[in-house]
Amino acid sequence: MTPLLDVQDVVRTFGAVRAVDGASFAVEERSITGLIGPNGAGKSTLFATIAGSLKPDSGRIVFAGARIDGRAAYRVARAGVVRTYQAARVLTRMTVLDNLLLASTGHPGERLTGVLLRPRAASAHERRTLERAHEMLALVRLEAHTHEYAGTLSGGQRKLLDLARVLMLEPSLVLFDEPMAGVSPALRVELLEHILAVRRDRKITFLIVEHDLDFVMQAADRVVVMNEGRVIVVGTPEEARTNEEVVDAYLGKAH
Amino acid sequence: MSILSSGSFWAFVGVVAGIYTILALGLQVQFGFAGLLNFGQVAFMAIGAYTMAILVVKEGWSTWLAAPLAVVAAAAGGLFLGLFSLRLRADYFAIVTIAFSEIVRYVATNETSLTGGSQGTIALGPIGTASQYNGQWSRFEGRVQHAFGFSSSDATMLAIVWTVAVVLLALTWLAMRTPWGRVLRAIRDDEDAAASLGKNTFAYKLQALALGAALAGIAGLFYAWEFSFFSPDDFQPLLTFFAWMILLLGGLGRVWAVPVGATVFGFIFAGTRFLNFAPFTWFASDQRAYLRLIIVGLIILLLVLVRPQGLLGNKREMVLE
Ligand SMILES: Nc1ncnc2c1ncn2[C@@H]1O[C@H](COP(=O)(O)OP(=O)(O)O)[C@@H](O)[C@H]1O
Ligand SMILES: [Mg+2]
Repeated sequence: MTPLLDVQDVVRTFGAVRAVDGASFAVEERSITGLIGPNGAGKSTLFATIAGSLKPDSGRIVFAGARIDGRAAYRVARAGVVRTYQAARVLTRMTVLDNLLLASTGHPGERLTGVLLRPRAASAHERRTLERAHEMLALVRLEAHTHEYAGTLSGGQRKLLDLARVLMLEPSLVLFDEPMAGVSPALRVELLEHILAVRRDRKITFLIVEHDLDFVMQAADRVVVMNEGRVIVVGTPEEARTNEEVVDAYLGKAH
Repeated sequence: MSILSSGSFWAFVGVVAGIYTILALGLQVQFGFAGLLNFGQVAFMAIGAYTMAILVVKEGWSTWLAAPLAVVAAAAGGLFLGLFSLRLRADYFAIVTIAFSEIVRYVATNETSLTGGSQGTIALGPIGTASQYNGQWSRFEGRVQHAFGFSSSDATMLAIVWTVAVVLLALTWLAMRTPWGRVLRAIRDDEDAAASLGKNTFAYKLQALALGAALAGIAGLFYAWEFSFFSPDDFQPLLTFFAWMILLLGGLGRVWAVPVGATVFGFIFAGTRFLNFAPFTWFASDQRAYLRLIIVGLIILLLVLVRPQGLLGNKREMVLE
């Protein structure tokens, strides 16, 4: 089976810093792949490159059989690859509900021509989007904040909103950048359950950067370990945990 | 002080406030909703006014065909500017818009055979004739005055301009409440985040720029009709900054804040005409014109300090990050 996402020798530099330095790995369809590595390993940069927010200097990124490197971010998103940001990027001057309502694809009301020529289709779509938004709000327990500005939310709540927004889009591949940072332990368990359920029911594949190694070990089928811009190990969580290079990379940085 | 009690003077102030409302509404769409720093709004006003006048005088078009085409031309100007510069960083984009508006003014000044040059629209026609572009408009205004029984042509113009302004305000208000308007606001807040939700942010910014330019084009039409004559000097960058003051005065991201800002601005601006007492009389009249701008600036500065969110703006929105 060909992988859903194939990252091949991707390089991305910032001046002299080789943030991603020839990274290669594959993500199988319907898997939950953990992407771990010490701070500064290049995980967030790699995410931005896959999502199209950053252009790679070289290398190829193939998603569902088509090259997506070099495509604009919005086209990558429409192709079904949606990311969250390490520091959640909610739209602060819009309400929590509006933030969620933006998470719909093919909304006729989002085009001026649709507003003018297909008002019925637009309002039908809007109704469905509204229903979904309320479901998602319930899921992440933000109902009480529905009509508040997203800018009034705490860091953890913003993460949840970002998460809800991405899940609502129902992409084929979700890139989560530290989704659990700042989220309470109780909610973590629930979100993990939800992620597992979503994968089971909706064939969504996850690539997750997470510092909470317990979470990664529990959730991930496979683990990709990065260090200094390179992929050093790909394997099962157990293999990763016991790999000497991985232990060195983490301890080397920590001390 | 007899001018203060003159109805036609205040009608004139009201007409200008109406024209500024339409001009600044365009900026509200561009900046208040889509976050585009356009400092060249006056260029689209000039394109609208000149396109109409040229088509009527030189091509003999009917005003009722020339006017819509002038609005389309202004929108096309916005598309043109956007296609080449919207991919720039926000601050570079802002600089390009200023340059664009100055280029439009220089072209209008120097392409004498097309625009009449610095002599203005009076020189649009063949040499030796004083050309007029507003014959059909004046007849229309006369019919409206007669039909509704307005006391003067000033009052008639006031009614026409504000009727159009209110219709445009209402349409904009409706547009901003659609999912389309929601995407615009998302782009204003965080363009990258909007793109990662699959929104083609470039296309939306282009649309906002073109729609705002079309509104400026409409303002240009009324400017032309109100004054019966105009020249490139009427489209100085100062006019764009007046529109910005109106926007800040009224409040960002609020459609109905625009007419409030424009009216307050119009009255402050008109009110400072009457500074004909000491110490203002110590200055020569040309110096007084500058003094007046300084005073207008100071009053607005004060208002903005007291209400940084604008008269109708939302203060909470300003501090959210
Ligand atoms: N926009 C940027 N400009 C310059 N350097 C950057 C930028 N983004 C990341 N870096 C550098 O790239 C390296 C990798 O960073 P990052 O991808 O954030 O790592 P991680 O997410 O694994 O902690 C770091 O050395 C970081 O300083
Ligand atoms: Mg990171």
